[in-house]
This record gives sequence, C-alpha cells and structure tokens, in this order.
Amino acid sequence: MSRGSGDAAAMVMISDVPHDAAPAAPRRGRSLLSRTFRAVLPFLIIAALWQVASMFTKPFLFPGLGSIAKSLWTILTTWDLLSQGLVTWLRLLVAVAASLVIGIPIGLAMGLSPTCDEFLRPVVKFIMGVPALNWVIIVIIWFSTTELRIGFVLIVLCTPVTIFCIYDGVRSIDRKLTDMVLAFGANPLQHVGLLMWPYVQASAFTAAKLNVANAVRTVIVAELVGAPLGIGKELDLAKNVFDMPTVLAWTIFLVGMALVMTHGIEYAERKMLRWRGESHGRI
Amino acid sequence: MAEAMQPAAAIGSQNLPKLSVERAQKSFRQGNGSEISAIVDLSFSVASGEYVAIVGPTGAGKSVLLDCLLGLKYLDAGQIRVDGLPVENFVRENEGHITRIFQEDRLLPWLSAIDNAAFGLQIQGVGRVERRAQAARWLDAVGLSDFKDALPRELSGGMRQRVNIARAFAPNPELVLLDEAFSALDDVTASRLRQDFKTLAQSQQTTFLIVTHSIDEAIFLANRILVFGAPARLMTEIAVPTRAWEDRAVSDRIKDEVRALLVAGARRN
Repeated sequence: MSRGSGDAAAMVMISDVPHDAAPAAPRRGRSLLSRTFRAVLPFLIIAALWQVASMFTKPFLFPGLGSIAKSLWTILTTWDLLSQGLVTWLRLLVAVAASLVIGIPIGLAMGLSPTCDEFLRPVVKFIMGVPALNWVIIVIIWFSTTELRIGFVLIVLCTPVTIFCIYDGVRSIDRKLTDMVLAFGANPLQHVGLLMWPYVQASAFTAAKLNVANAVRTVIVAELVGAPLGIGKELDLAKNVFDMPTVLAWTIFLVGMALVMTHGIEYAERKMLRWRGESHGRI
Repeated sequence: MAEAMQPAAAIGSQNLPKLSVERAQKSFRQGNGSEISAIVDLSFSVASGEYVAIVGPTGAGKSVLLDCLLGLKYLDAGQIRVDGLPVENFVRENEGHITRIFQEDRLLPWLSAIDNAAFGLQIQGVGRVERRAQAARWLDAVGLSDFKDALPRELSGGMRQRVNIARAFAPNPELVLLDEAFSALDDVTASRLRQDFKTLAQSQQTTFLIVTHSIDEAIFLANRILVFGAPARLMTEIAVPTRAWEDRAVSDRIKDEVRALLVAGARRN
C-alpha cells in the first residue's frame, strides 16, 4: 500500500494487463492435410480390407465398395427413398428436442430441491435401466399409433440422460456464485434465470449430443417393428431380400445424419457458450 | 469524506445507527453432532457514513456475520438492525441497498464486464439500457472503460476485482460490506486497488463495513477498528484518527495495539 499517493487513473494505466487476453493460437505440430490424412487413414484401411474380402466372398456378405456407393447414390437421388431418411431424421430431431423440453425442468427441480431429488431419482434410474427392446414391446401393447410408439420409445430413452446431465450441472454450480447471486437479493426465479440456466446450458448441449447417438441407435429398433415409413422400414425390406449394399448404404446414411446433427449442436454450443473459451484441460 | 469524518466515539452517539448488532449469537452443528460457536454475544453499531473495519483471526466468524448482515443466514439469538429495521425486513424491502465485495471476484463468466457490473441493478429490475449506462459509469470510475465488453476470462485478477467493486457500487447501496476484498491480490495490485477504492468510496454517501485480516488495510480505510476474538466477539474498538495512515507513529501504535489484542485473543482460545 503506498502512503499518501492517490492518482488512481494513472495507477490503472500501469497495472492490470490482462494475463490471458487474446491468447496466441496454439501451435499445431502437424498441418491440416496431415491431420486429415491421419483421421481418414483407418477408414481407408478398412475399405481396402473390405474390398479384398468382397472379391473372395458372396456379394450378400461383403458387397463391393462400388455397389455400396451405388446404393447410397440411389438413396440420395431418389425422393421416395430420401424421404424415408428424412422421416427418421425428423423423428430424431423431435425426440431429442422433446427430451430437452421435458428433461431440463425435471433436472433443474431435482438439482434444486432435495425432496424432488429423493422422489424422482429412483424413478428416473429405474426408467434408465429398462432396455430399448422392452420399451418397444410395451408400446406395441399400449399404443396403436406408430408415431406415438416410436416417439414414446425415443423420448423415454433420451429424457433420463437429459435429466441426469442437467442434475449434475446444477450440482456443479459454484457455491460462491450462488452466494453472490443471493447476496444481491435474487428471488428464486432470478436465481434460476440468471445463474442456473446459463450454467447448465453446457450440460444441456452435452445431453443433446449424447441423445443424438442414443436416439440413432434406438430409432431403427423402434421403426423395425411395424413402421410404415422410415429407414427402419427400408432396412426391413432390404433384409428380406439379402440386399446388403442397401443395408450398408442406409447405415452410412444414418451415421452421416448423426454426425450432421452433432456438428449442428456443437456449432450452436460454440456460439452460445463462447464465454468458455478453449478447454483448460488440454495439454 | 473519510477525512472530514468525526471521531468514532462521536459518530457512535449520533441518532439512529445505520447498522446495529445486538447480543448476536450464532452456532453451527458439526457432523459429529457437537455445536461450534461462530458468534458469541456480539454487539456493536455503525453510524451512517462511517467506515468500520473488523479485524480478527481466521475462524472468527466474520464471514458468517456478513452472511447474517445480508439476511442469508439467521442468528440463533440477538438482533441485527439496519436503519432500525430487522435486517431481514430491510433486505426484503430495500433490495440491493446492502452489497458485498467478495474476496474472490465471483463474476459470472458468461457476462461481459459491463453486464457483471450491472448485475445488482438487473436483480433490482432496472431496464437493460439504464443499468448498462449506470454500470458503464462505474467501470469508467474503476478505470475499465476500455474493457466493458471483455469477458471475465479476458481480464486480469486485478481487473476482475475492479469489476467486483463496480458491481457493488452500481446499485447505489447504503451499506457496502467488504469481505477480505483485496486479500486475494498481489501486494502491488491490492495497494493500488485500496487507494482507488478509497477515492471512490469518499465520493459516496455510503457506510462501509470492512472485514480484513490486514491491520494496515484497516488503518488505511477505516475510521474505527473493531477487534474480534474467535468465535466472533468484540474484544475492543479503536478509533483511527484522521490521517493516521500518513503518520507512521500513530499507525504503528494502532498496529501494535491491535496485534497485542489479537495475540491475547488467540491465546484465550
């Protein structure tokens, strides 16, 4: 502390250079081309092995890469087929969105209220433990409408993931920030809106990404059981005639769909959670 | 303002105190079922516009007292009054009139400096344009006019603490509580911030309760020092004469007196 000195403005100029303002971009050891090549290499090796296998086996076991590519092209250029893919995509989108709409308030309530936590946690855990196929059988008995069956199965499998992600997000909120918000006199609504919601947004994005993968794995199971539209129905038809190239083409289409959705979520995450900056855990 | 203030004894006798703590008691139950006292029969008062420092050892229940002053924790017995009202009623009726400058900045990482500074006003329901304008004035006052849109992670520790100070001042509070506000900073930054804080504080019609471990800080900022023992109980209060900080002999005498009391208090515990 300096005795008697007092030119605050001047002192501000001297001190307080941001310690991590505009951090320099980390130097990458490898070029983009090299990194892309390393990412693609394992797939190239698998494709080569597959192509070799196709030369020595029956086409319905290991069809050639050319026939798979042809089937994929047919799917992408034939509206009747492409629309089946889009129906499945729409189901995934609705299920993931619905799981967020249902799961976020429940997760917040469980994180905020010990009573809600004690009451709901065992139920959510139980639901989480039920296998997807059991749900498919249950909904066949419960509901007559196909969309309701598929929607219910997807939502019931995705929502617990959202609930637990949000719940953990709430529990990880820094107690000191909570004290700060309360010290300024925030009411419960302001507490949720100004502290909890921004804080748990990251958890909501994690839940959405997990649920895309979760829903992609489940949707086909649900569609296989009597859906008149969707990739599941197309896979069922292809299975009946041992059309392996079409099965593989739809599989590639599904994975592509999941990747596009995940990238979309990650893009939104980067935009909305810009304040987080680069990961501090990276070396 | 601090320079023009009257001696502590005279202030204490004026009208209704801004803050009064009357026979306060607070204890906590530990995991093993035993009780631990945080505040024991504590009484003191602070006049309007006064700068009072509380100095005490670690674990003296100073932060618990601040929580009680904000209505975040409740006393087991006794009373805290602000402007004659029980503190819970005062806080409920006068949202944002008591603010706290925390030891760590406690800025919301997703808000820019200006929105963090405007946070108290947002809680009060002040409109976005008005609260940002008010917050901008305070950021100017703490020397951060060029960093209004910076996120906390883009600011240094000292800058974040300046935002913390701006946030506490922006709602135009009647009582500001400083909770070891400069102790997390390096000596040079802390010294500069204390000086800036004092300059800012003197331009306000505000009462300050300054919890600190630093006797130097207490002498520099306050007109009266309350020396606490652990658990929180008032051992004595010492008036700090005007310009005590500039007079080494006076400040050394106060320091020695406070130190001796703290040592005696520590021995008793």
